[in-house]
Amino acid sequence: MPNSPPQENPYDDWFGVDETTVYRVLSEAMGRGADFADVYFQQANTMSISMEDGIISRSSTGVDRGVGVRAVVGDQVGYAFSENLDAEAILEAARTAATIASGSARVPPQEISRPELPNRYGLDRAWDTVSVAERLPLVQKTEATVREMEAAIEKVSVTWHDRDERILIATSDGVRCADRRPMATLGCHITALRNGQRQSHGAATARRQEIGWFTDDRIRDICRKAVDRTMILFEAQRPPAGEMPVVLAAGASGILLHEAIGHGLEADFNRKGTSIYSTLLDKQVAPEFVTVVDDGTLPNDRGALNVDDEGTPVERTVLIENGILRSYMHDRISAAHYGVPPTGSGRREDYRHVPIPRMRSTYMLDGPHGYDEIVAAVDRGIVAESFTNGQVQIGAGDFTFYIKNGWRIENGKRTAPIKDVNIIGNGPEALRNVLMAAGDSKLDDSTWTCGKDGQGVAVSLGIPTVLVKRMTVGGVNA
Amino acid sequence: MHSDLKDRACQTLEMAIEAGAQDAVANVGEHTDVVFAYRDGKLEKVQQSTTRGLSLQLFVDGRYSTHSTTDLRPEQMHGFIGNAVALTRHLQPDPHRVIPDPALYAGRMDVDLEMDDPTVRDLPRDVCLEWLGKMDEATHADARVISATSEVHYGWSASAQVSSNGFEGTRTGTGIGYGSGVTLDEGDGRRPEGHRFVYGRRLEMLPDAVAIAQEGLQRAVERLGSRKMPSARTVMVVHPEAGGGLLRHLVGALSAGAIQQNRSFLADRREQQIASEWFTVADDPLLPRGLGSQLYDGEGIAARPMSIVEGGVLRNYYVDTYYGRKLGWQPTTGGASNLVFAPGDRGLEDLIADAGEGFFVTGWLGGNADATTGDFSFGFRGRRIENGRKGGPVSEMNITGNYLDLLRNLTAVGDDPNPWSSFRTPTLVFRDVEFSGE
Repeated sequence: MPNSPPQENPYDDWFGVDETTVYRVLSEAMGRGADFADVYFQQANTMSISMEDGIISRSSTGVDRGVGVRAVVGDQVGYAFSENLDAEAILEAARTAATIASGSARVPPQEISRPELPNRYGLDRAWDTVSVAERLPLVQKTEATVREMEAAIEKVSVTWHDRDERILIATSDGVRCADRRPMATLGCHITALRNGQRQSHGAATARRQEIGWFTDDRIRDICRKAVDRTMILFEAQRPPAGEMPVVLAAGASGILLHEAIGHGLEADFNRKGTSIYSTLLDKQVAPEFVTVVDDGTLPNDRGALNVDDEGTPVERTVLIENGILRSYMHDRISAAHYGVPPTGSGRREDYRHVPIPRMRSTYMLDGPHGYDEIVAAVDRGIVAESFTNGQVQIGAGDFTFYIKNGWRIENGKRTAPIKDVNIIGNGPEALRNVLMAAGDSKLDDSTWTCGKDGQGVAVSLGIPTVLVKRMTVGGVNA
Repeated sequence: MHSDLKDRACQTLEMAIEAGAQDAVANVGEHTDVVFAYRDGKLEKVQQSTTRGLSLQLFVDGRYSTHSTTDLRPEQMHGFIGNAVALTRHLQPDPHRVIPDPALYAGRMDVDLEMDDPTVRDLPRDVCLEWLGKMDEATHADARVISATSEVHYGWSASAQVSSNGFEGTRTGTGIGYGSGVTLDEGDGRRPEGHRFVYGRRLEMLPDAVAIAQEGLQRAVERLGSRKMPSARTVMVVHPEAGGGLLRHLVGALSAGAIQQNRSFLADRREQQIASEWFTVADDPLLPRGLGSQLYDGEGIAARPMSIVEGGVLRNYYVDTYYGRKLGWQPTTGGASNLVFAPGDRGLEDLIADAGEGFFVTGWLGGNADATTGDFSFGFRGRRIENGRKGGPVSEMNITGNYLDLLRNLTAVGDDPNPWSSFRTPTLVFRDVEFSGE
């Protein structure tokens, strides 16, 4: 079975169906007058391995296989799925989806188009050719590397996860495309003991990659990050409570973009008028040096896609260009609502869910300032470095992210470490309040999974060092 | 349907033993889920499907693995199970990975938990659409409404579990809920939201759908004009619906897994005072109609009520077979079912009157907690408390602290446990909470 690009006709090999069945299903889904319909076949094979107390004590495998059928009328959606891929079961799902409409049947065109897809995560070795015995040494090496790095470590747990997902999309417009999407994740979580106190933290890397990518050096990087982040917690304190300037360290602080801007620019919220950004298209929303993109084209990135889950090619979408709001992220429904081309942002967790506008890899491009210049500009504030959660209220625009590691800044100098504080701000206000951005933009390839409407999808994010004039920092009152 | 699932589970178990497992546990389940959503005067979404899956735990030569699949084609099963057993042999032996002691299966209660409502299985589409039409109308009863979505969710599930050392269990349940989310135009670009959703095992438990929709609108209206207040150390009154979000982090720290991995601030505190005398909570899997009710847990352990904290004293942890063996402890149950709090004798308004000044938290926004240290920090939305009454709405503020301090500062609980969650928290009142704002 070739890996990627997908084979000429994966219907039969992957899902045991043929074009005749698919056409019948699409016709059935449009049987009551839908504008369009699509069918989404998926099979995901997963393997997990976990190590605790020095023993590889558990492995898990999973097969998730099914097909979802959608019928769309304007912004109305009918949806059903089946895990039985027999023609009659899929047709039954199509009849359920069709009930969103109440008109007379439409007939999908017979012409088929197979768009040329890029190859953003082709692997030399697909995960189904790798034995469990080849994966185990990566896990054991990670555990041993962490233990060698620091004597104060009491507990190390290492988790490995890989996923080999095949999808096939057929739309009533005649588009037929297939994609094979790998993902591999290596993470470690540690607890250390010092002077009777315990601290825990971890690090992980998740990419659309193959086993050969996990070299000793890359494993060492993950371990180093986990150990450093944990050990600094022994010296860390809560900062003072209240509003203060916040320096976002390059990389993982891209969570600010994801929460403060990204979700609010997903076009479903905007076509419904429920986003605080609904009326801000083509307006200046940030200083001129701020450019933010949502990009599905980065090779082997966690947020990369060859095609979205509606069969639309995936692009690099400029959201904010030189401070001006340029585009929302669209699925087919919102693109039709706004009369623009879709941006390849229609994503779903799996065949059980309808596609909706989602982020892929969201990051800010380099700015004109220097890191030292940025820290020196702060009289009393904090640096935010690692994070364990984030959330946003779309309408009010209030967003939060939880800082696990950071630093205080006093008189223009980075001083003591801080930990465990939530930061809360307002999206458009925080954008206006970006005072400086450095030239050190980088992506964070940790295990970011974004939740929306009960669906989790893999994303990545990034940012250069950025200074925000003020946000509300959790902490202790004097 | 029951017997289908059980037959399938038994066949899977047999195949696993034939393939070389010494012990195995098989579970086969199915879940039907129906959703209708209405937005701004029209039907927006119809969704109905049944998901089926099989999961298998294998104990092979002292090694352990778990497997799941939705591909139930008979011709696939032999390969799936054969590969699973072969994979397990590559792992390392772990003396603590053993199938649960069958003595723990014994004593299962023979009671009706009232989990099944036939009217939910037979709910006509027209009834749902009629509710939604009225709910949609109720949510638009204010000129400032930009958009309002009302939804009905319902479904039913069934599962059968069997083990090679004699466990057999089947269960079924229904669930139904509805509610509305409303977005208003604040006038300055901000679009505050309000939500109200109720969910229970049986239709007859739910309040009137229109009243729920009206509450969704009312909650949005109450968010108009929200602002940030100055940082302060003061009283926090937590709404019953928000209590679960605050206290759910305790459940993780109470698990034997967290304790054995040295990631629990509640380790070594059994029989110690960890909270004020007002804090009494039990895990009650036998609560009739409870969202977390069950006659046996995920391992098959016969369910029984268990005191967790009594008058502030920690009584029990959640102990499963694996981590119990690692710690040398008897298993209790692997995870929370329904958390039932001993109520106080006063309601929310009285408790706010007593508080005098402070903040009334109605919901959380982000934040997190560290189970190793008990440190937490959360964003919240809510209202001021001024002169013993609810004041204006607040936003963009955080609370920060450590759970051991917070629990010791619990000064009162209400008589109003939240029935729409397995976390049945009443109103909670804490003193000396660190708030950060302006």
